[in-house]
Amino acid sequence: MLTPLLLIPFVGAALLLFSPAQTPPGRLRLGAILVLTLQLGWCLAVLARFDPTTTGMQLQESFSWVPEIGLDYRLGVDGLSLPLLLVNAALTLVSVICTRDISQRPRIYFALLLTISGAVNGAFLAGNLLLFFLFYELELIPLWLLISIWGGAQRSYAATKFLIFTAISGMLILGAFLGLALFTGTVDFSLTPVLTERLAMGQQLLLLGALLVGFGIKIPLVPFHSWLPDAHTQASTPVSVLLAGVLLKLGTYGLLRFCLGLFPEAWAVLAPWLALWAAVSVLYGSLAAIAQTDMKRMVAYSSVGHMGYILLAAAAATPVSLLGAEFQMVSHGLISALLFLLVGIVYRKTGTRNLDVLRGLLNPERGLPFTGCLMILGVMASAGLPGMAGFISEFLVFRGSLDRFPVATLACMVGSGLTAVYFLLLVNRAFFGRLAITRSLDPIQDARLDIQLAPVAPRETLPATALALAVLGLGLLPIGLGRISESTTTAMAWAGGSVESVERPQPAPQAQPVANAISRAMNSGITMGGEG
Amino acid sequence: MAVLSSLPIQLAWLIPCYGFLGMAISLPWASGWIKRSGPRPAAYLNLLLTLVAVVHGGLILRSVGRLGPQHLQFSWFEVADLHLQISFELSLTTLACLALVTLMSLVTQVFALGYLDKEWSLARFYALLGFFEGAMAGVVLSSNLFISYFLLEMLTLSTYLLVGFWYAQSLVVTAARDAFFTKRVGDVLLLMGVVTLSVYAGSLEFTDLYAWAPGAGLSPLVANLLGLGLIAGPIGKCAQFPMHLWLDEAMEGPNPASILRNSVVVTCGALVLLKLMPLLQISPLAVTVLLIIGTISALGGALVAIAQVDLKRAFSYSTTSYLGLVFIAIALQQPLIALLLLFSHGMAKALMFMSVGSVISTTNCQDLTELGGLAPRMPATTTAFLVAAAGLTGILPLGCFWALALMVQALQDHSPLATGTVLLTHGLTAFNLVRVYRQVFLGPSQPKTRRTPEVGWLMALPMVCLMVIVLSTPWLMMRFGFVSGSIGLSSSSVLAVVITGLLGTLAGFRVELNKTWSRSVQRPLRLLQDLLGQDFYTQQLYQRTIVTWVASLAALTDQFDRQVVSGLVNRLGRASLSSAEALRYGVSGQLQTYVLTIIVAILVLLSTLSWVYR
Repeated sequence: MLTPLLLIPFVGAALLLFSPAQTPPGRLRLGAILVLTLQLGWCLAVLARFDPTTTGMQLQESFSWVPEIGLDYRLGVDGLSLPLLLVNAALTLVSVICTRDISQRPRIYFALLLTISGAVNGAFLAGNLLLFFLFYELELIPLWLLISIWGGAQRSYAATKFLIFTAISGMLILGAFLGLALFTGTVDFSLTPVLTERLAMGQQLLLLGALLVGFGIKIPLVPFHSWLPDAHTQASTPVSVLLAGVLLKLGTYGLLRFCLGLFPEAWAVLAPWLALWAAVSVLYGSLAAIAQTDMKRMVAYSSVGHMGYILLAAAAATPVSLLGAEFQMVSHGLISALLFLLVGIVYRKTGTRNLDVLRGLLNPERGLPFTGCLMILGVMASAGLPGMAGFISEFLVFRGSLDRFPVATLACMVGSGLTAVYFLLLVNRAFFGRLAITRSLDPIQDARLDIQLAPVAPRETLPATALALAVLGLGLLPIGLGRISESTTTAMAWAGGSVESVERPQPAPQAQPVANAISRAMNSGITMGGEG
Repeated sequence: MAVLSSLPIQLAWLIPCYGFLGMAISLPWASGWIKRSGPRPAAYLNLLLTLVAVVHGGLILRSVGRLGPQHLQFSWFEVADLHLQISFELSLTTLACLALVTLMSLVTQVFALGYLDKEWSLARFYALLGFFEGAMAGVVLSSNLFISYFLLEMLTLSTYLLVGFWYAQSLVVTAARDAFFTKRVGDVLLLMGVVTLSVYAGSLEFTDLYAWAPGAGLSPLVANLLGLGLIAGPIGKCAQFPMHLWLDEAMEGPNPASILRNSVVVTCGALVLLKLMPLLQISPLAVTVLLIIGTISALGGALVAIAQVDLKRAFSYSTTSYLGLVFIAIALQQPLIALLLLFSHGMAKALMFMSVGSVISTTNCQDLTELGGLAPRMPATTTAFLVAAAGLTGILPLGCFWALALMVQALQDHSPLATGTVLLTHGLTAFNLVRVYRQVFLGPSQPKTRRTPEVGWLMALPMVCLMVIVLSTPWLMMRFGFVSGSIGLSSSSVLAVVITGLLGTLAGFRVELNKTWSRSVQRPLRLLQDLLGQDFYTQQLYQRTIVTWVASLAALTDQFDRQVVSGLVNRLGRASLSSAEALRYGVSGQLQTYVLTIIVAILVLLSTLSWVYR
């Protein structure tokens, strides 16, 4: 059931790669769209087969691949990975649809996009640490090529920076996984949590630290974020959509699955520091975003800020906060993809992303009114206005984390307020005001726009409209996603929470929600070891 | 009870939906997909839906009158220990507020048809009004803090979009920005309060919160922070000091939206505060802050209003002032008086803004110094102004008379300071009303007021209807049971209100309104005029403090990011490149050296491994 999720994109990529050289780009694009539609359909089929009430891995497939080094081909899906699979399938489809007029090596371009999608599927499905690592690295090379071949003017700098940062991230992750085998003395790369009976706390902390830095680069968290704004500004719009919407989620997924899931005890020790790190990351990203004048850089820094919420939620590790982390991953995927699509449209029509140049784009006759409306919706969703996906995610994160880390949570809420500041400035500068009425040959040099803006065809805004509807839908009816993920995230929180209750035998009166969830988990038949 | 409740009550959840549906229906016209019919059909559809909302609200009111208060509850999102619900409270009070909101929305929409006659994006305006109305209707009915917060934020968004309606003008852009930021600051603080309550109290239903509050056992610090967070949202929404700036700037938006903003939007904010009032007992500090803010806003707003030369701003500051009185009433635990004041102020202020809108639409001018002599030319508008002024002050027994007299009576014994504030504010308001009346309607006609016919029926009709409603407020209050017929108003409080009103009126008629006096040459007077005219320099204060701080912090972060974080990475990369360049020349090409290097490396690796496996 799950292997086709790897086969469809990889076989599709191979077919595109070996298609006749004279195939027109339009037909290649159509082929890629067909493959990705099939993948999305298969994801939906998996969703239909998925049983949201069970907590463990479902629809498992297992096959001992290289037993000597503990590399098993083991796939599975649970409430944590399934929504991300759907986001991946949808956003890759969006990024192929919004690829237009590609003339340079179209075969390789589409094949690389499909490869990334397949690799990301593999990483989300992998039930073996080494298998995860393989797919994690596999996604790196195509993305590097996509930036360094189809990127902007300074693409080689950005691509190299991206490659070095992410390669270090991969090395740290592999080192941690191998270190696990080295320290425990067994080649067990399954997803069983490593507890103190198996491994001393000092070694656990060492491995967890390596994993944290590794995934922290990918997420990215301050101070490892410096590759992201450069990569985004140089990447083309479809690649930015994939990078922000899907690839960053590999980092947060790793954080939840491997950091919290593998080392729950060490995680509980580090949690207060992680919450602090999250708050710093959120505030730093938001403040840096305010000072940006390039729209894409601004959205990129907003990603840095918004990913911090996930670290906060993971640090708190309560049932509500972990569900909030899942929501934030999905909603950030949708919202940032939407924002990058819209910035892409603005860039294509005006030739600039500079907020000092752009003015009055809402103008109904000569501007980009519909793009502007979607942009207002997107930034409001990102700022956490209710009725859209950002709000319920942030609410869950804050609600779940406030009890454990009040100061860090309040700081993150301030960051949420700052999001409104920079995104409102973006809308106010670029879309409000008066459209320039003079002819201009070079908009950047003359610091004003040309009067001749090409009109935006409805089909160009179609992907953005679909994403906007998804953002609204998730914001108004969050219960669907809640049902898929709730039992998995609750079980994860319980695994972390039991450690917590060993440390604090008497939960403080404020910790009632956590205690309730634990007792409910106990009642539902899960026996709990270690609590007297 | 569920069996007894009739159909209108069961469908009460539709009431906020009418507004949102109106917005959705208007989209084809607003976005320009339908061009052939012009934007008018969107306006008609919105009007129709608002009419449906008014009728539906009336039906519910009748059923509730028969069956008693009802409570509707739907589950929205339940995970783990979090239960978020949509719930509505259908009582006489909330339904009266709903009637106020929907009726105001209806008359405003008719008025807007006339006022925005030649506006090309009429459909967008009506879409936004529908959004506005839906959010407000939901806020007044909600019996759940979560939903109240949810809809208050939607109000913030729609205020932003409505203020920014004419987005091509630079003043409008800053006004929309400031409106959003100010309200957003209040909203984020309120969100902190909501999340904290959700954690500690478990449920966000107001009734559950009331039951929880007495035995909450929070530490004083947490309780005070919580209380301050909870009042911050309404402070922003009601344009209270120090978050009052936006309402004044929002006057850049179209006038019909100003009608709603000054009458019912601020009322919505105050209603949420009213619902939170029983919770505030956990934090005496918050109540004190509420009282101080209310007093400053009431007096400050009344004073600043007097110094305004812009017709709309003169009354927007007066809104701040009246809402300050409402805050005082809430802080001193007088919910009924607060409600009464909200009602009578809301209707009278809406009428006032209609009259102002008529003047602006006829003369295309809102500068007081350029207006004059309109009374004989625009009789309906003049009458509307006078009725609204009577409704706002307590000289004639219209709405605010009862509210103010009751407030004076309730407060005079134990809070002389608050009583003084109420009376002083009342006197100043009367003074301001008379001043504006003289400048706009009396005196010789000016160049801009020579050819000023009365407004067309689309604006006159809603104005006259609202006039009738304002004139019948005493009867309406008795009907809804706010005041009983033989209310025991003491003669001293009545006298105090009437006398302060008359004093203010008299002073207003006696004061010199020469054009040359609008900025006096006498230094002390000019300083005072500037201080009040510039709203105590609040805008400059913000510019110098918060705005500068955030901007410099952002610039600092950006510099740090470029210089330190990115700089370090770049320097590292450059160092490795240049060292490689340098090392290139150190390679001898001898095979022996290579082998030696490899062997040494292997030895080091093995010894490390054996040390680890020791």
